Amino acid sequence: MSSEPPIIQLINVTKKYQIADDEYYEALRGISLKIKKGEFVAIMGPSGSGKSTLMHIMGALDTATTGKQLFKDKDIALYTNDQLADIRNKEIGFVFQAFNLLPRTTVLKNVERPMLYGGIPATERTKKAMQMLEQMQIESKANNLSNTISGGQIQRVAIARALVMDPSLILADEPTGNLDTKTAHEIMSLFQTLNEKGHTVVLITHEEDIAKYAKRHIRLVDGKIVSDKK
Amino acid sequence: MEYKELFISAIQTLRTNVVRTALTMLGVIIGISSVILIASLGQSSVKFITDQLSQFGTNYFQVSPGNNMRAAFGGGSGKPLTVDDSDAIKSAGISNIETVAPMGFASRAISANETTKTTTIYGLTPEGQVMLKPEMVFGEGMTHDDKNNKVIVLGIDVAEDLFGEDTDPVGLSVKVDDQKYRVIGVSKSSGGFIGGFFNSAATVPLEVLSDLIRGDDDLFEIDISVANTDLLDETMDEVELFLRDERNIKDGEDNDFNLVSFKESLGIIETVTGLLTTLIIGVSAISLVVGGVGIMNIMLVSVAERTREIGLLKSIGAKEKDILVQFLIESVVITVSGGTIGIIIGVVLAMIVSLIAGLPVIVSIPWIFIALIVSSGIGILFGLYPAKRASRLSPIDALRNE
Repeated sequence: MSSEPPIIQLINVTKKYQIADDEYYEALRGISLKIKKGEFVAIMGPSGSGKSTLMHIMGALDTATTGKQLFKDKDIALYTNDQLADIRNKEIGFVFQAFNLLPRTTVLKNVERPMLYGGIPATERTKKAMQMLEQMQIESKANNLSNTISGGQIQRVAIARALVMDPSLILADEPTGNLDTKTAHEIMSLFQTLNEKGHTVVLITHEEDIAKYAKRHIRLVDGKIVSDKK
Repeated sequence: MEYKELFISAIQTLRTNVVRTALTMLGVIIGISSVILIASLGQSSVKFITDQLSQFGTNYFQVSPGNNMRAAFGGGSGKPLTVDDSDAIKSAGISNIETVAPMGFASRAISANETTKTTTIYGLTPEGQVMLKPEMVFGEGMTHDDKNNKVIVLGIDVAEDLFGEDTDPVGLSVKVDDQKYRVIGVSKSSGGFIGGFFNSAATVPLEVLSDLIRGDDDLFEIDISVANTDLLDETMDEVELFLRDERNIKDGEDNDFNLVSFKESLGIIETVTGLLTTLIIGVSAISLVVGGVGIMNIMLVSVAERTREIGLLKSIGAKEKDILVQFLIESVVITVSGGTIGIIIGVVLAMIVSLIAGLPVIVSIPWIFIALIVSSGIGILFGLYPAKRASRLSPIDALRNE
């Protein structure tokens, strides 16, 4: 495992946003970290600490202002929008807090969608999506519209969709933020099981009891890493 | 990228907001239905006029006095066309000529039963009568034996005004310029449009018109039919040369008469109808542009409303092209559906109007295809800007959108 390059390596990454003509906001101030295959990492911090910005950069949704942003040893800061879209499609599975599924669309079609962008043929798409829904124990809702299922079920479908392209990394941004405590723990157990099966999971959260499921805890304050504990 | 999935997704999206989609389509529906209606009615009218003209045959042309150019500049009509010209053409030995039918006219009061009606009276030869094919309601048309007799054929409207409806006036007499004429028939035009003037006119033998009514040999026109239609133009040239010589027109001088064939008349009518149709279609097309702007507006609203959805799609791997195509398909689905509804409404309206107006029912197939192409074009043209805007949204800006 040690011969494999880290999935994510950030070297002295900064991210600045222009908020006025001469005014910048520095969301990340020199972040360096490595995420290796099989890890279960919780990135924690108060709101405004830069954890969402860090997730966007790790998830190839955004590029760093300065510093190196390596994905499997390749500097994706230089990638075009289409190349970044390819990385998001094939290498990363996202689970968001809210607005996770496409409205007006069935559960099955939601799970199939990344495969549509990945150029996978229709019959294979349906087969694979059904497998994922079975794995998440939500196959009975396959033909339901996404707005007719519960919050816990939505997150299960979102996880099925995140896994369907067999990505190197699952990035979950406050995935339990909209769920009741019982369902939140069910979803976290699911992430734990996935990690035990070899999936790499990065979790963004501000809740300590949710972060406990992870094996490594990175704390951010004002755009800097203040602790990184296993 | 599979367009079928995106097409289904577009239909689902549009179905969730049926009222908005329907209102967005309205501009295209109105535009396309008016274009189809006008184009179909234009074609129906041309067909109707062509059919009417065809009844007189395609094998004849007219010679009339005057010069259009000179008349237009106030030069007057010049030398009249007379029975002598007609007789000269008849005896000129131009081989392709079949019949020469001179035609004169005068406007006079006709009276009977203490009723007087001012009417156009045409002077015709039996040959002319055959050429113009009036339909006899009562009695017979004129024969060569009537040449110098004071006989008259009344148009149906004139007969009804003088003698009442459904009355057979054959054998009765009418007065023109204080002279008695025996009614030998009542005619009506065989077509409903061209030649409709027969209904409100009367005809007498040409010789009677010249000698007793007009007092001169001036003609309104000479109708000439030919044996071989393929040689019509050549025959017209021969008649033109012959008449120039006969009327002593010097080289370089303009004709003081006009020659017009059925083909040319038809060409003029088609040009005028075509021009009018194009003009009205042009005006209708403005509503398509207005419809297109409406679509652009609604698509921009849709992009704004679905910013987070676009962010989500980008996070799962949608490229700019994928988002662009998705929104373009939505706008094209709106315009093509609107176009199809517009075509159906246009065709139905064209059928109803044609049936009411007594025109042949023609559905303009080429215009249906044009309408479909134009409506897709509008969808692409006016959907492109909102779709481009959607595709260029940064994924994080889109995801952050509340």
